[in-house]
Formats: sequence, structure tokens, C-alpha cells
Amino acid sequence: MKESIYQTVCPGCGIGCGLYIREDNQGAVSIDFFKSNPVNLGKLCRFGMKLPHYFSSGAFCKADEPSSMEGAIRDAAARLKGAEKVAMLSVGNTTCEEHMAFERIAKTLGSAVHTGIQAYSKLPPECHSYLEGMPFQDIEKANKIVLFIDPYVQYPLLVRRLLAAKRNNSHIISVGTKELHLADENLSITPNEYSQLGLDSNSVIITDLHPHTDANDIIQLLNLSLETGAKILTMKPFVSSEGVNRISKVKTTSKGLSQMMDEVKKGNIRTLVLLDSDPIELMPDTDETVKSLKKLDNLIVISSRKSPVNEIADVVISTEPLYRKAGTFMNTEGRIQENSGTGVTGINAMSSLNKELGSEEFEYGQLHEQVMAALTNEGQKSGYSKIKNLATAKQCTGGYVLKYLYNPFMWFNQLDDNDFVLINLNMVRSLKLKKGGQISLTSENGNIKMRYRVEGMPDGLILTARKLPIAIAGTTSVKVEGC
Amino acid sequence: MVEVGDRLLGYATDPNVRSKGASGGLVTAVLAAALEKGLVEGVVILKRIDEYEAVPVITDDVQEVLSSGGSMHAVPVNLAKYVVGKKVAMPGKPCDVRGVIEQAKRNSVDLSNTYIVGLNCGGSMHPVLTKEMLIKMYEIDPEDVVGEEIEKGKLIFKTKSGEEKSISIDKLEEEGYGRRESCRYCDVKIPVSADLACGNWGVIGELAGNATFCEVMNEKGKLLLDTAIEAGYVEVRPADEKSISIREKVNSAMLKLGDEWKEKVFDEIPDKDRLKYYIDQFADCIDCGACKEVCPVCSCGPDSKCTMFHSLADNYKMSMYHMVRLLHLSDSCIGCGQCADVCPVDIPVTTIFRRFANPAQKNRNYMPGMDLKRPPFLEVMLK
Ligand SMILES: Cc1cc2nc3c(=O)[nH]c(=O)nc-3n(C[C@H](O)[C@H](O)[C@H](O)COP(=O)(O)OP(=O)(O)OC[C@H]3O[C@@H](n4cnc5c(N)ncnc54)[C@H](O)[C@@H]3O)c2cc1C
Ligand code: SF4
Ligand code: SF4
Ligand code: SF4
Ligand code: SF4
Repeated sequence: MKESIYQTVCPGCGIGCGLYIREDNQGAVSIDFFKSNPVNLGKLCRFGMKLPHYFSSGAFCKADEPSSMEGAIRDAAARLKGAEKVAMLSVGNTTCEEHMAFERIAKTLGSAVHTGIQAYSKLPPECHSYLEGMPFQDIEKANKIVLFIDPYVQYPLLVRRLLAAKRNNSHIISVGTKELHLADENLSITPNEYSQLGLDSNSVIITDLHPHTDANDIIQLLNLSLETGAKILTMKPFVSSEGVNRISKVKTTSKGLSQMMDEVKKGNIRTLVLLDSDPIELMPDTDETVKSLKKLDNLIVISSRKSPVNEIADVVISTEPLYRKAGTFMNTEGRIQENSGTGVTGINAMSSLNKELGSEEFEYGQLHEQVMAALTNEGQKSGYSKIKNLATAKQCTGGYVLKYLYNPFMWFNQLDDNDFVLINLNMVRSLKLKKGGQISLTSENGNIKMRYRVEGMPDGLILTARKLPIAIAGTTSVKVEGC
Repeated sequence: MVEVGDRLLGYATDPNVRSKGASGGLVTAVLAAALEKGLVEGVVILKRIDEYEAVPVITDDVQEVLSSGGSMHAVPVNLAKYVVGKKVAMPGKPCDVRGVIEQAKRNSVDLSNTYIVGLNCGGSMHPVLTKEMLIKMYEIDPEDVVGEEIEKGKLIFKTKSGEEKSISIDKLEEEGYGRRESCRYCDVKIPVSADLACGNWGVIGELAGNATFCEVMNEKGKLLLDTAIEAGYVEVRPADEKSISIREKVNSAMLKLGDEWKEKVFDEIPDKDRLKYYIDQFADCIDCGACKEVCPVCSCGPDSKCTMFHSLADNYKMSMYHMVRLLHLSDSCIGCGQCADVCPVDIPVTTIFRRFANPAQKNRNYMPGMDLKRPPFLEVMLK
């Protein structure tokens, strides 16, 4: 009857909801509600509720083979010694201490850890601190809130904060891709029209920053904030996104995930080391990403869960599940939360790897101190001036555009009841779609038939909350037909 | 030997258990004796993390049971689901007990294997709101609190420095603090469907604060208490008329207060607005499914009516999930408040469900979770 109970944080997004994971003596996992947690009062979204599946599902993991941890570490070290064109990626999907350990290995290799967010390198460094999060409670006090995200799907535990703000008479405007029930106004406007929003220093702009965020979108909002005094809350997608981006020392030269994958494709990266970051899950086009990764000389994965990249990796160093790890997370509001787990398999493995590579070993305690020092170091915010727009890549315009609505299920390739697309009523009527019928979507990657749901959205837009094989990027031009 | 129907005052014989207990440690001692003497294989206890947080665990360690005494008013869990399929003893507020009875009607719990030591309940509070209340209303640092108690309509907090501060529950609730909304209109305060019904109402004089009023509700209750007495874990004596009448009086007063809350919360919605009310209430639902997961009376498992008829691709203005649940739970919802507690978008799910279920249950003079005599009015009773 003995169970182990872990106090931990949901890895679904940067909100960092607290929860308990129960593990029985057969290893079966279930969730329980951590009601005194100030971030979420124990409440969880659809993804949080499905965490037992997240922790137990996935592709075959090399570490399931009897081959020992020592063997994997020796193999990784042998491949890394003398390897050229090495790149390392940790998007922040594990503890800050493991990220710090990964940084130590990068130092030994004379390399750097990238967090996969290219927008940082495209912005003046003095802007970076303005993209750090802020307390969620401040949202509740704002007199006006402008949303450039869909909180219901992307950051669900933000909804209750927005509803609380509404009860406090805040005016909520959605400038996102679809109409939101909680918004007082749903606007479809371009950056040139942002002055219509009427923002001031009591307003909050909510957007997000993830591996596929267009730096120009962030620039527009930083400029809007500069002009109006409105604060920016930048939501982030992974459990330690906020922490690792604060810890990261290479933001000005940081490589985006797409850029890294492009370099892998072109052969400019020949060895890729991943810490709980799976490009196959994170990139919009699964097949293309697998093809690119197969070109690498060495693909080394350090991972706490079974994810598709484990299947094609040369070495997998398999660590304990996130909830069992000792470690710290920083959520989007800058709150530090600690796991009750004491597992240090990941840290010890990276310490041994560092030793094999000819450098010093390290321990959890040292890394934790370093993490706390980095996270509690309140740097001074220096002002920034108006930022010029960057030259934009070709946008999909005209016709129909299929767009990814990035959300926890999509980032982690988790099954959900989301095998349908969102379209507006005009599209349903013009294509004469039947209730319960399907819509046919065709891109240069092929054709797919999907069920649909009606939402208030601009004409020509098709949203999907799951990755589709016909997508070539976050936005893809498609042809549509009724069927 | 005690008899069914006995009303007793008792306490744990172990002074540590007695002093740690909420009112004499009888409940802890009874649960520990049931385990020690092999009546059950495990006991459900609340494992304390701090003053405001505890996790339910099942233990087969008598020492762990003995150290689990004390009532945690700011831990609003429901324990019913933790006992499903197990031979255990558990403490339980009326809503915990009613949840177990509803599970038993559906053969998910075998009552002959489950021993329930019921606790009277005036209500429980949300931990985060309680901390906020301590700072704003009591001007106490939540970290300094070492104990809390409800006495004579007042909520009392004790601090590390030995200070005690009390504020009337009415005042707290006026300010939006105090008991959860569902507790304010909860209609069972003494868990008469448990095997033993224990509480501090009616414990007066020198025993106040260090003895428990215990009513033996049935044969299993008699066995529980006899086992604990024989093992030397508890001592009991008959309660006098004064104690008995005080307990009755407080219970009646609490139920009357609950009725007043019901009047306030369930104001009449005209027929023409009723559909709109339900649609509007659920408009921000993010389909997390938590309200089903926690529901102590739901025994459908993952393949249930409400989820199987529901798809996120649907264009219904109110989801099939909620439509089915409103109807399906109208004969079993006990108003425990768990669904509202876990709703990530703060929908007052309990109030909505009670609004739907209240007339259905009242018209049939049916209260779920009270006994196994009457079947649910929408279902065949499997038991
Ligand atoms: C939320 C709550 C409200 C109560 N309100 C009243 C009241 O208004 N009037 C009254 O007469 N009595 C009330 N009681 C019961 C009273 O506080 C004592 O529990 C009872 O008198 C038994 O005392 P004891 O010393 O024998 O219990 P103890 O030996 O201290 O054992 C208490 C048992 O209760 C369990 N427990 C603690 N907190 C909870 C919880 N939140 N939910 C479920 N189980 C829990 C513990 O695990 C332990 O097994 C309440 C109890 C609770 C938990
Ligand atoms: S909102 Fe984010 S952190 Fe919270 S439960 Fe959902 S996915 Fe997890
Ligand atoms: S719902 Fe009733 S029994 Fe349950 S905690 Fe509230 S008052 Fe107590
Ligand atoms: S519907 Fe809600 S209030 Fe009713 S029994 Fe279920 S969880 Fe409790
Ligand atoms: S808990 Fe709330 S959000 Fe979740 S399904 Fe129930 S009503 Fe919807």
C-alpha cells in the first residue's frame, strides 16, 4: 500500500503550476492537487490533468536497454572528444540545476548552451530584461489588458487571472488570432493601428516568447510599451524557460531552434547535444526535422522522458522523471519553486561526463547555489530606445493560411482530443461544410482531411492545436475544399 | 462493551495522542487500534506538510496513524476516492462519508470492509485564502500559526508566541473569507451515515478541548470502539443529557444557518433565463476534466457518459460533458465543493450543480450518501 508522493511543478508551460505526483509501488503515476500552492491553488489545466500519460508514454528509449549508464556516458564522452561543430540545446524543460550542469559541460567543450529562442539575439541586449516575467497578481490589478495570445489554449492557468482582472473592472482586448470569450473587445488590427488600443502605464500587454516567435512581433510590442508605458508580460512555454533564459550568458549570440536545425541540415553543426529538448517535437515539420537530424555525426541526448529523438540518437543518457529530481524552477512570474524530489541521476551523469571529458566533477549542492545566485540577482534595468523593425521573411499572405496554435500538447507531442481545425463561419458557409463533416487541406507537403470547429476568426485563417503533416512551418499556405 | 446508539465522551489513553488530537485524540486512537488489531489492512490519514497543506495517504504503520491527529480546517480534501477497492479505516467529514456511501451504492466500495470514523463538520477553508485572511484580518504571519480551532462561531488561531486571536465566522464570511461556499450551505453536519460520529460539540466543562463526543451509529461502529477500548487505546464514559442537548442545539443552529445561506446563494432564476444562466456559467470552461476527476460520487471511470459524448470539435454552446454531468449527478451530488475547488478558471461548479440537483433531490425527498436503503432515483442500485 506504500506510495511515494512528490511535490513538483507541471512541465506543461512556464506558468509552473504546483502539484503532487503519486507513485505507487508498481510505478503507476497519478496526480493530486497541491491546494496551498500560490501559483495555481492546486488547479490544473487539461495538460496538467493528463500528466500521468506524459510521464508514462512515448517512444522507445535507448536507456531501456540493459546497457549501463556508465556505458552511455563513456560513449558520449568518446564522441564528444575532438568533435567539431558541436552545438548544445536546452530549452528549459528540466531543472535549472541540470541546465547549469549542462552549461558546465559546454564550458569544458568550449561550446555554449542555446535555449532555442532566436528573438533574443535580434534585440538590443538592454531589452532582454524587459522580456522577463512579472507577478501574475499584477495582471489582476491592470486597468487594461491586451492579449496577443490565446490563454485558454496556450497558457490556461492565466485565464483565472484575467477573469479576476475583469471582476476588478479591467478592460480586456484580444488582438490574437481568434475571438476570446473573456475579452471585452476582439480586434483584428495591424501594428500600425496599435495606437487605437489606448494603453497607459496601468495597462499590461501579454504576449509570449518561444522558439518560433518572430522577433518583429516582440519589437512592435516593446515599442508600444515604450510609447505608452504599458508593462509587458512575456509568457514562456517550458517549465524552466524563465530560469534558463535568465541564467543564459549567450543571449546576444543565442541561436534559435530553426536556425540550429538549418545549420544541422547544411552540415554546419555536426554534433548536437540535447538536454530534455527534442527538436522532433519542437519543430513544426516532423519529417523534415528527422531527416536533418539523421545527417549528424553525433546526436547525444540527455533526457528524463521517452520522446521521439531518443529513437534516432546515437547515445541516450536517461535520467529520472522530472518530478523525482532534486531541483529548482523559475516560472514566468519570476517565482522560484523547488521539487521535493531528491533524485540526482541527471546531475551525477553530467558530472561524470564532464570528468570523462577531462574537467572537474560537480555536485548538486554547488549547482543549486549557483542557480540561486543567478536567479536572485536582480539586475538593474537600463532603458531602451525605439527599436527598428527587422527585415521580414516572406509571409504567407492571401489565400488560406494554416497556423499553429502552439500549446503544451503540441510542444510535447502529446495526444489530445484535438484532431480538428478551427475555422470561421464564413468558411463553413462558403465551402458548404456539413455538421460533423470534414474540410480538405492541401499544401506542398500533401493533403489531409480534418474535422472542424467554428470560432470567431479572421477570414482565410485556419488554426490547429496539433501538428499536421501538411505543415511546413508555423504558418503554411494551403488550399481548402469541402468534403 | 458499547452498544449501537450509545452517546459517549471519550479520549485517547496515550497522553501524546490526546494532546495532539483535535479534541482528545479518540479518532486517532480508534483508527490506530483498528489497524493494530487487524480489523483493516490500512488507514487513510492526512499527512501534514504544514498548517495549510496535507496529503491523504494510506498507511499500514500504526505509529504513523498515531502521529496523524488534529483537524485541518484549511485542507479541503475529500477522502472518499482514496478508499475505493481497499480494506481500510478512514476518518471522514460528512461529505467524505457521503461520497463513500454513494460509491458503495455502485459497488465500488465494499462497506463491510470499510470502517468510517465520522467527524462533525462546520466547514473547511481554502488554504491560500486562509493565508490571505490571516494577513488581512488577523494581522498574523501565516508562518507563525501553530494551531486553529472553531469554537462558539469563532475561528481561533494560535501563534508560536502563545497568542490567540479570534474573529467571528460571520464577519470573516462577510469579507469573502472563512468557509468555502459549499460548506456554508452544506446540509449534513453530523455524519450519521458513518460508523461512529465524532466531534467536539457537546464536550463541556473540564473535558472541553480534550475529549470527543462519539455516537455509535451501527455494528461496525460498535466493533471499532470495542476494539479500541479492549486494546487500551481509548477510554469512554456516557455523555450526560446536557452534553447531548448542546450537541443537538448546535447542530440545529448550524443547519438553520445553512438554510439561510441556501436562500442567499440559490436566488430564483426566471425560467426564461435559466438556459442562458447555465451556458454563461460554463462559457470559460477549458475542458480540463478536473471536476469529474475529483467528484467523490462519480464512479464511471475514464470511459464515462459525459466524456464519451463530448468532443472538443463540437460547436455546442454548452458542452455535452456538462449537459450529461448536470443530469447524471442530479441524483448523487452531495455538494462537497471539490469540483469548484479544483476548477482552473474558478467556475463555481458546485453551486451550479447544486442549483440543478437541489429541486430534483428535494422533490423526491432524497438525500444522497445517507444510507444504502434507497436507490439513486436515476439508477439501479447495484449493492
Ligand atoms: C474540517 C473540519 C471541521 C470540523 N468542524 C467541526 C465542528 O464544527 N464541530 C464539531 O463538533 N467537530 C468538528 N470537527 C471535528 C473535530 O475537529 C475533531 O476532529 C473531532 O472532535 C475528533 O477529535 P479527535 O481529537 O478525536 O480527532 P483526532 O484524533 O485529532 O483525529 C482527527 C482525524 O481527522 C483527520 N483530519 C484532519 N483534518 C481533516 C480534514 N480536513 N478532512 C478529513 N479528515 C481530516 C485526521 O487525519 C485524523 O485522522 C471538524 C473536523 C474537521 C476536519
Ligand atoms: S497551465 Fe501550464 S503549468 Fe499549469 S497545468 Fe497547464 S500546462 Fe501545466
Ligand atoms: S461540504 Fe460539508 S462536510 Fe464537506 S467540508 Fe464542507 S461543511 Fe464539511
Ligand atoms: S458534482 Fe461537485 S459538489 Fe457534487 S459531489 Fe461531485 S464534486 Fe462534489
Ligand atoms: S473543472 Fe472547470 S474548467 Fe475544468 S472541466 Fe470542470 S468546469 Fe471546465
